Amino acid sequence: MPSSLNAIVPMACVTAAAIAAMVAEAFREPGERMPIGPLGIIGLAGAAIASIALWHHNATSFGVVAADKFGLFVTGILIIIGVLSLAISAPAIERERLPQGEYYALMLFALAGMMLMATATDLLVIFLALEVLSLAVYVLTGIRRDSPVATEAAFKYFLLGAFSSAFFLYGIAFTYGLTGSTRLDRVGSLIAAQAMAPTPMQLIAVGLLIVGFAFKVSAVPFHMWTPDAYEGASPAVTGFMSTGVKAAAFAAFFRVFLTAFDPLHAVWWEVVWVMAAATMIVGTVVGVAQTSVKRMLAYSSIAHGGYLLVALVSANDAAKGAVLFYLLAYAVTNIGAFGVITLMENTSGDRPNDQIRDFAGLWNEHPALAALMTIFLLSLGGFPPTAGFIAKWYVFTAAVNAGYYWLAIIGVLTSVISVFFYLRIVVMMYMTPSDTPARFPLVPRIAGAALVVSAVIIVYLGVLPARVLDWAVASISSIF
Amino acid sequence: MQFPILTSLVVLPIAGAACLFLVRDDESHAPLVRNIALVVSALVFADALLLWSRFNAASGDFQFIERHAWIPTFGISYVVGVDGISLLLLVLTGFLTPLALLGSWESIQRKTRAFCIVVLLLESAMMGVFISLDLFLFYVFWDAMLIPMYFLIGIWGYERRVYAAVKFILYTLGGSVLMLLAILSLASLHNAATGSYSFDLQKIYALQIPPSQQGWLFLAFALAFAIKVPIFPFHTWLPDAHVEAPTAGSVILAGVLLKMGTYGFVRFAFPLFPDAAAQFAPYLAVLAVIGIVYGALVAMVQPDMKKLVAYSSVSHLGFVVLGICAMDTQGVQGAVYQMLSHGVSTGGLFLVVGMLVDRRHTRLISEYGGLKKVMPHLVAAFLILTLASIGLPGLNGFVGEFLILLGVFRWSPPLATVAATGVILSATYMLWMFQRVNYGPVTNEKNTGLRDLSPREWAILVPIIAVAVLMGVMPNLFLRPIEPSVNRMLNQIHAVAPVRVQVSHQPPAASHQPPSSN
Repeated sequence: MPSSLNAIVPMACVTAAAIAAMVAEAFREPGERMPIGPLGIIGLAGAAIASIALWHHNATSFGVVAADKFGLFVTGILIIIGVLSLAISAPAIERERLPQGEYYALMLFALAGMMLMATATDLLVIFLALEVLSLAVYVLTGIRRDSPVATEAAFKYFLLGAFSSAFFLYGIAFTYGLTGSTRLDRVGSLIAAQAMAPTPMQLIAVGLLIVGFAFKVSAVPFHMWTPDAYEGASPAVTGFMSTGVKAAAFAAFFRVFLTAFDPLHAVWWEVVWVMAAATMIVGTVVGVAQTSVKRMLAYSSIAHGGYLLVALVSANDAAKGAVLFYLLAYAVTNIGAFGVITLMENTSGDRPNDQIRDFAGLWNEHPALAALMTIFLLSLGGFPPTAGFIAKWYVFTAAVNAGYYWLAIIGVLTSVISVFFYLRIVVMMYMTPSDTPARFPLVPRIAGAALVVSAVIIVYLGVLPARVLDWAVASISSIF
Repeated sequence: MQFPILTSLVVLPIAGAACLFLVRDDESHAPLVRNIALVVSALVFADALLLWSRFNAASGDFQFIERHAWIPTFGISYVVGVDGISLLLLVLTGFLTPLALLGSWESIQRKTRAFCIVVLLLESAMMGVFISLDLFLFYVFWDAMLIPMYFLIGIWGYERRVYAAVKFILYTLGGSVLMLLAILSLASLHNAATGSYSFDLQKIYALQIPPSQQGWLFLAFALAFAIKVPIFPFHTWLPDAHVEAPTAGSVILAGVLLKMGTYGFVRFAFPLFPDAAAQFAPYLAVLAVIGIVYGALVAMVQPDMKKLVAYSSVSHLGFVVLGICAMDTQGVQGAVYQMLSHGVSTGGLFLVVGMLVDRRHTRLISEYGGLKKVMPHLVAAFLILTLASIGLPGLNGFVGEFLILLGVFRWSPPLATVAATGVILSATYMLWMFQRVNYGPVTNEKNTGLRDLSPREWAILVPIIAVAVLMGVMPNLFLRPIEPSVNRMLNQIHAVAPVRVQVSHQPPAASHQPPSSN
């Protein structure tokens, strides 16, 4: 294989698995079970092997895709997200009678797009990746075709997503007009060479790109689609998109703004500062008022986006490492939480079981599931000794070192508020007797194993984070 | 390699909890579960006593230090060690946990396995708080401790348990997150001064923190500790948590958890920021005195025994904070002594009240009366603990309060005078409550058939009372390890800040001469 293709091997593996899944679906008799999920796992395993092999090589392909350590770290997170999502999707596919080939193929295509987005070093390629992943995720959101809620969610997500893509593309056009290039390194050096005072062109380009990214990472005030889309989609899909899309979009957001637009940090930091503060505050305060677990976790995921934006504003070395660690911790935690919700839907009853009060008495009915959910919630709330605590600590370290004390104070206070609503589920599970007859959630072995693996990773990252932190620190030195 | 005795105090309860996971979770195995938990906690206590026996009481430095890299990139390490102050708090924790388990022997009838696991995890986290000499490690234990306590109150508590549990965790967490930022800033300051991050307490002690920065750092630490103690006006979570918690929860809460706040002042807030401490100590002392009087007055009118004891804690802990604020040897020594003494006597009171509640299922004073005729032994123990709490000479409460008032009087006679009224008030509310519960005729016929102490309850009360008497008649046994550590801490404060205490002459008891160097 020519060396110039090395950098795209991980996403090629995933794409191949996606195509194989589609072909398999075409040959599947109606009602026949096929091991399509394991096919995806094989693809992701290939991607993992390729990523490990590429770790020290800084490979690039075509000058627009760079498998540097930063990109590979995010790719690794995406692979974990992919494996866990595939594992927890199986019960939802069974129950909802979803077309499994299409479901897995879309998920794998989305993953390929995310990996491309995390490693792309050219604005146009980032846009391409963004569209690949977005289209797949739009369809996944609405894959429950007979559900009006899902269709509405998908349609809303699609319309607003398309709108934001236009902003993003327009921002690329202005950047090209400004510098004559869409390659991040060229853009960066040309902007640095230009006059110190920000020109209107620069402001417009930066502003449009911020809007485009802010939509994808659901930062306030571009977060309106998030609760609806998260609530309408099947929880397994929500777990996937709330972590995968966020990881990919934040990776690109960081890469673009801390390389190409780093010279303009003085211009954009205030905007992102306000956005970070608003995102943390709105995410937590509105989250308190929710009665649906899915909507609550949607607002929680908005708030977590706010903490990642704190890292972006801080823009120092700690921040760059923090975002990688945070994305990893958040990914395993949030997928775990949505995995539990997926299993909660998987009861003998026909109600979706997604209200907070549906968790009442879960400890009596299924203590292991309740314990796992507790670990996920404590990690989301940032309690030691879980990954969520280390992640938040790292982000706040970045903010304090950069001197953004107020942002850090808003961050810690909103995280206290968020503990209030995470604990509401704990209160339900442990301290409130169930008001309905026992509904034992059925826990398929693979999904259960995925949840246990998530919990083990969370505790491992919380107790012995040193090794992964060192990887994160090593990853940022390669590009910024 | 030397046996890591401090780590074993943290690991042993966790190992015990892990063992309990192997036992089947049904009610027929509950006795086995309780016995395992009791044996484990007794082993931890033995471990703590072993530590005391090997402790060099002549030295004020940290001993038994263990140091391992944890997150080397950020200068975070696992550093643990004890001095005389933390040593006795470890012993106190080890002493109270088995008693708390014994006190819940019969009252906890559901989810016994989970209960024992939670208590052991709580013990582990408390031990961790007292041995940590790394700020990051300390914060991890400090926060991690909230979770088992939250479950303890929320699952096994009384009617309003969920409200109390959520209030407890949000108050404490709200106070401590700002401390997290202050800790991060300290590491950042260390980086600015030396070029590398460190959370190691002893290295940060050595740091010269500019007085302009000390103010907010001190306040961030002080807020976290003030909520935990709790100092008036941050005390509103405490009555709810104490009243709604099961007996074991109340004992551990009053006995150990509150001391984490005062311990935090002694170990972190004052020595780290001496200038700010000197500046803010008078305000803190005024709040402490308000707490002493306010807590006592509010305790007086409580119809609920647990609530009364809870408010008495606000009052007693006010003495501790006042003694620390005096920043002289007697005051701080008395404060540390009072921490231990309050743990013993209030822990004991909660256990006695728990025994009454086990029998009658009510905490209201008006439901009782004339118990002396029905249960003479229990009432005798109740009386001793009541007197201990009031501060009768010869029992534990006297020594601490006396030393505190002595220290404070030399600093500020008005504060000492007002605080001394708290001693009288405590006699009023405690004796009045005792009288209404135990003397007079048996007015409520439900009280006539109550049984006296069972062997299990004897096993709880005898050690508590023995320690209360021991602390009253042989205070030097406990003061000896405390004194060098207190002097080291005070030297550290006064080495930087100007000596604020105007002493015209050395006190006649020259035994408290601070060592010339540390």
